[in-house]
Amino acid sequence: MRGSGALLGAAGLAGFLALCEAVPRLGVVDADYFPPAARVGDALLTELGDRSFWTALGDTLTGWALGLSIAVTAGVLAGVVIAVVPHLRELTASTVEFLRPIPSVALIPLAVLLYGTALRSVLLLVVYAAFWQVLVQVLYGVRDVDPVAEETARSYGLGTWARGRYVLWPTALPYVMTGVRLAASVALILAVTAELVIGAPGLGARIAVAQTSQAVPEMYALIVVTGLLGLLVNVGARTVERRALAWHQSVRGEVTV
Amino acid sequence: MRRLFAGLAAGFLLLSTAACGSSDGSGTSDAGASDGTTKVKVGVIPILDVAPVYLGQKQGFYAERGLELELVPAQGGAAIVPGVVSGQFQFGFSNTTSLLVAQSKNLPVKAVANGVASTAEDGADFAGITVKKGSPLTSPRQLGGRKVAVNTLNNICDTSIRESVRKDGGDPSKVEFVEMPFDQMPAALDGGRVDAACTPEPALATVKAAGGKSIASNFYDVSPDLTVAMYFTSRQYAQKNPELVKRFREATAESLKYADSHPEEVRRILTTYTKIPDTLLAKLTLPRWPAEPDRASIERLAQLAQQDGLFKQSPDLDELLP
Repeated sequence: MRGSGALLGAAGLAGFLALCEAVPRLGVVDADYFPPAARVGDALLTELGDRSFWTALGDTLTGWALGLSIAVTAGVLAGVVIAVVPHLRELTASTVEFLRPIPSVALIPLAVLLYGTALRSVLLLVVYAAFWQVLVQVLYGVRDVDPVAEETARSYGLGTWARGRYVLWPTALPYVMTGVRLAASVALILAVTAELVIGAPGLGARIAVAQTSQAVPEMYALIVVTGLLGLLVNVGARTVERRALAWHQSVRGEVTV
Repeated sequence: MRRLFAGLAAGFLLLSTAACGSSDGSGTSDAGASDGTTKVKVGVIPILDVAPVYLGQKQGFYAERGLELELVPAQGGAAIVPGVVSGQFQFGFSNTTSLLVAQSKNLPVKAVANGVASTAEDGADFAGITVKKGSPLTSPRQLGGRKVAVNTLNNICDTSIRESVRKDGGDPSKVEFVEMPFDQMPAALDGGRVDAACTPEPALATVKAAGGKSIASNFYDVSPDLTVAMYFTSRQYAQKNPELVKRFREATAESLKYADSHPEEVRRILTTYTKIPDTLLAKLTLPRWPAEPDRASIERLAQLAQQDGLFKQSPDLDELLP
């Protein structure tokens, strides 16, 4: 079953590549502005042989990983506190709903003003975008705690920490993991976007330089790299999710009665 | 040269924030390090125009004067102007119109050295109004009612194109300007989405390679020696570090002179910080890099911008220029 899935996935990718090769060759779009897949592949190989490409990749991954860690830590802590402390949820709900839809990229001028074009600018945008993904999931997760389980734990004399560990955390974890998975993708998108728009060092800045230099195949090669990174991030996040939730029925696939 | 002229948005933002922007001071003071070298960060756009500072850095013109240059590529004026005013960068690169607009809004910007100038050769400038292969448009007066792409509205491109149209006997108010990044202009021209475009190098070379041509040199039409861009600092930094600013100006002047007389080295240094393909590299029309800004041309540009309504109050050139 899994083998055939991978096979189908590969076939789909091959078909997509063939389409990218055919579209410019057939003259549907101008090959100067949308080069055939083979030329992009060539440019990609050249990029891979360039040391500064790997530095840029490292910069992007640093921004992503740091930003994601900060967002997840802050999101989980803030989420638990808001959900557990009485009235705090009602107090913050409207503010959260106000701040959450603000697109991170709209904060670029603020980021530049505060931090220039350094890594911290990227972090500001990444953390802002990823934080809400985690926070909102944690809020849902904590609310999902079964009152019966909670009461049972209480009557068995479990303290606050123990109830947190054995009742709240297992209930919230699937939500947290969903939040982390969403945040991981969003963080990558924002890391590359910040570099692209601000010019902070990384793959995004490299794409921008290729654009301004009219180096079209190189630009697409770098875009392909960001796509591959996204794919890896998603696969990685799913793996982590499966591992962390191996005990959970959604992963065990057990039929519940 | 993309978003080179995008200082406007930044200027607008800064109006409200300039006051608190200097909270962490204006970078290092004149004292510098004990060995006499001072590290300065310069916000640049990774385009052809800034080749001289890369060359000057390589040739040691800055090191000779005790300046250790860190060239920080940024994505345009929108990132550089706030960066300089808030002290993230000690110096920055911006087009002249954006600096004029910033000055007219009382942002604390101070030009310190020349940046880049038009070639003083009509029809052979490093930027031009381009049309695609086979376009019926042959002169700027025909642009009335046509769509013309500029990288930023209300900035140096549309001001200068209006002047080209005016000089050619057309009606500049009939031109319809649309905004798009320079790098997308060649494809937009070819696809017929715009009729003409304000294209500097290397987009200019791309258009020409595709069979298009330049119908006017819009920077030249403002003034044959138009100072298109300059290096600037914040007024606080200039006041606190007059000696250092002087050294930066001298080193930059020497770099500009060097770049102007060594075009082959310019093309070579371009390969280190841009990705301009070899096929285009040889065809690029290089700008001129005079050591000093041309005040008369800046006055003319300010006049035209005033006429276009870019300023609420006139910029003070004595305050702005070095």
